[in-house]
Amino acid sequence: MTVTNAMRLGAIGVFLSTAAMAGGHLNEMGPEELLPLAQEEGTLTVYSFTSRIGKVEKAFEEAYPGIDLQGFDISSTEQIARLKAEAQAGVTNADVVYISDTPVVLTELLEAGIIAPYVPPRVADRVPDQYQSPLLAQRLSTKVLMYNEEANPDGAPVSNLWELTTEDWSGRVVMVDPLQRGDYLDLMTEIVLRSDEMAAAYEAQFGQAIDLDGAANAGEKFIADLFGNDVILVSSTDDVNAAVGALGQENPPVGFTSYSDRRDNEEEGWALQVANAVEPAPGIIFPAVLALAADPKNPAAARLVIDFLMGDESEVGGPGLAPFYVAGDYVTRTDIPPHPDAVPLDEFTAWRLAPAETATIRAEIGDLILTLQ
Amino acid sequence: MADAAISGQGRRVIFRQGTVLKAVVLLLLVALIVLPLIRTVLFTLQPDTIEAWSDVLSGRLSKNLFYKPLGNTLLIGVVVSMACVLLGGFLAWLVVMTNVPFRKTIGVMATLPFMIPSFAAALAWGALFRNDRVGGQLGWLEGLGLDIPNWLAWGMVPTLIVLTLHYFSLAFTIIAAALATVNSDLVEAAQIAGAKGRRILMGIILPVTTPALVAAGSLCFAGAVSNFATPALLGLPVRMQTLSTRLFGMIEVGQVERGYVIGILLVLISGAFLWAGNRIVSGRRSYATITGKGGRAKRFDLRGARWPLCAVAAVILISSTVIPVIVLTASSLAPSSANLFSNWTLHYWLGESDPSFAQGIPGIAYNEDIVRALTITLGLGLAVAFTGMFVGLLASYTTARFREGWASAAITQISFLPLLVPGIAFGAAYIAYLGAPIGPLPALYGTFALLVIAGTAYLLPFSVQTGRAVIQQVGGELEESARITGASFVRRLFAITVPLAIRGLAAGGILIFVKIVRDLSLVVLLFTPTMPVLSVVAYRYASEGFGQFANAITVVILFISIAATMIANRLQTKSQPWLQN
Repeated sequence: MTVTNAMRLGAIGVFLSTAAMAGGHLNEMGPEELLPLAQEEGTLTVYSFTSRIGKVEKAFEEAYPGIDLQGFDISSTEQIARLKAEAQAGVTNADVVYISDTPVVLTELLEAGIIAPYVPPRVADRVPDQYQSPLLAQRLSTKVLMYNEEANPDGAPVSNLWELTTEDWSGRVVMVDPLQRGDYLDLMTEIVLRSDEMAAAYEAQFGQAIDLDGAANAGEKFIADLFGNDVILVSSTDDVNAAVGALGQENPPVGFTSYSDRRDNEEEGWALQVANAVEPAPGIIFPAVLALAADPKNPAAARLVIDFLMGDESEVGGPGLAPFYVAGDYVTRTDIPPHPDAVPLDEFTAWRLAPAETATIRAEIGDLILTLQ
Repeated sequence: MADAAISGQGRRVIFRQGTVLKAVVLLLLVALIVLPLIRTVLFTLQPDTIEAWSDVLSGRLSKNLFYKPLGNTLLIGVVVSMACVLLGGFLAWLVVMTNVPFRKTIGVMATLPFMIPSFAAALAWGALFRNDRVGGQLGWLEGLGLDIPNWLAWGMVPTLIVLTLHYFSLAFTIIAAALATVNSDLVEAAQIAGAKGRRILMGIILPVTTPALVAAGSLCFAGAVSNFATPALLGLPVRMQTLSTRLFGMIEVGQVERGYVIGILLVLISGAFLWAGNRIVSGRRSYATITGKGGRAKRFDLRGARWPLCAVAAVILISSTVIPVIVLTASSLAPSSANLFSNWTLHYWLGESDPSFAQGIPGIAYNEDIVRALTITLGLGLAVAFTGMFVGLLASYTTARFREGWASAAITQISFLPLLVPGIAFGAAYIAYLGAPIGPLPALYGTFALLVIAGTAYLLPFSVQTGRAVIQQVGGELEESARITGASFVRRLFAITVPLAIRGLAAGGILIFVKIVRDLSLVVLLFTPTMPVLSVVAYRYASEGFGQFANAITVVILFISIAATMIANRLQTKSQPWLQN
């Protein structure tokens, strides 16, 4: 080894250890210590899978003047594609990612070293372990069957998912294209993973055992029948909400969307309500996670915003959590009381997503849906 | 001594007039155009990506991934190009050959639709015809109580109509220019021989203008099959896919290999049709119809049909220019597109963020993202105008002054290659090309430089053509004499060619500016959130259901495009021979 090489190695070693130390050091800091460092950085970029980032941006800049938060509303699917492309190009645009699609995020972003976990020490003792690793979940989000409660004052018009494949609901089930939004692909995948439950529900609905008719299992049969029944695919959950929830409809469709979008009922003129009693389950509930870029340009500000998004010490989490403290979102912090207007989590019948299992067949289900379109 | 002589001769070979220049230009063009395409093809041929070819072409996915979108794409190409030639040809005939009232107005208006970005027309269609099939806002006609059927609100029919109303003006320009050169001798001879109008049309005018009709048809075909915005906005909600929307969808969800394969196939299809069109035209090389004598033929007297035909033209032109502009402007002011002309508010333009209104999105004047996108878009337009005209001038100068040799031929061929490549496929190729570091060069993903380089390369056919027109205006002898007096190439270029051609260059630059500012298909894949451009921001708002913001941004783009085009026309004092009496 030549002297220069040795020196280079040494320099790299020193560099790496200071970087690690700096990171480690920052990881232990509370918001007061992070703030001056973050203000020095002055700016940060957040990729967020929810449009509520706009409200977060405003609240954050009010709470911490002098730090410019640039929030971008990008679907999880697109975030993953972009983050991978950026990593390949050696570019780090985002400091923080706020994302769902955990089945893909864990393998393609976390294991690939594109993003890194971070749990703010301030709240670490108040978030259950299962929501701290491998990535910090801020809340649980949903994709479940919703209906229009104005047109159906006596409750959900559907009691079994298989009803959606019948003549009555032809052209009247709305969801986002699962090939464009990973949450919906996760939902389809979960239906396949729960094929036994789907088969039982079929029998309950139609009084006879399911005839797979060439499909691999009851879940795939359901998906094929749903698409065969002219399911309407739209491009965003707001389109689903408007189609299902808009007031003044005589015969509104039903659709898969976020339970928490019920929060906008008043502002937008909707009458969305969850069909919690539907057999075998109304849909899925899954974590929305927060992570750092592997090498964020603004490491202190990035940690500060994650700390902010986990809510402050006031009763329901203050301005950082306010956009997410709504009926239908289940905040992971144990000291925040459940939202009074929502179905309590233990009574909520949606399937809990298991990221690792979903990841195994997700691509296959994606291809299946491609053949159905 | 002998050695010195040989090396002296060697030097002369290397530095033979133009060799260096040719080599530089050729290298530049290869780097800008050929390498991205090659790199895309190579990317799909790696061991772990080659499977994408069988997925797309033969697997169980191929039907939905390729063949159905291919069918839609070809249907769009054929119908739109035929309709464009008919409409454009009809208008060109009216303007050039008949005594229809308001000839000049019709002539000017017929060139306008091409200045309007095609997504503007698609958005306007949505604001008028949307029905409740996919939720979201209703269109104006539904708001009036009409029941708009699905086939008219979404999918193939509106896509065909919108694309035809966009591209017919391209056909008009080409056909009108050709008709204007039809020699009056031919027509007069026929008239003396007693031929009737119909006979003259079929027997003389059509055959003589066939090359223009074919050229117009194949350019409209290429435009229509590669258009992304219109099928994306009007077709995707009902799952109608074309090759360009499939390509976009695959790359957006991270299935880049499949996306690239579809892109390569799209290039081949679009290229094959343009090539075939070119073959037909060049089959009969001699269609010189301009000769020294012969004036303009007497115009066909339409007699009683004058006003009815004028009305037909007016309907076509108003629905392709005036209506989209009115609808877009109105719907950027109306909270609900079902009530397009009531409850107007300036919120979408000037409003501050209000949590209870449009999810707290502020009006476009106060919207950081949009203001930044505007700055970047204008910067991009200027940068591409400069680099485009520079490279275009360099390439056309080289081929004009040093015509001989394979290198010049190669320069010409390569510089027109992007014409065969749909914008969205070109964008995909540039991600494959500069999305990862090449040796010591850093990756350019998400940088302004990437947008500029891709934009410059994409518009090279246009800038080279403009450059050539400019060079031809400047007589070669001025430059010759400068060379004899020992002026260097750079000196000659900047002391003679550029000053003499500055008006033409500026006009060409402005038109490139317009093309890039209103482009969506090239930039839609190169877009990153931190490097936004207006057209993509508008597209994203539209697909997220915030039509008013999309429409307001589109009005801004329209305004910039039209203003810049008018300036360019002024500068160019463009001769539009068909408008002369």
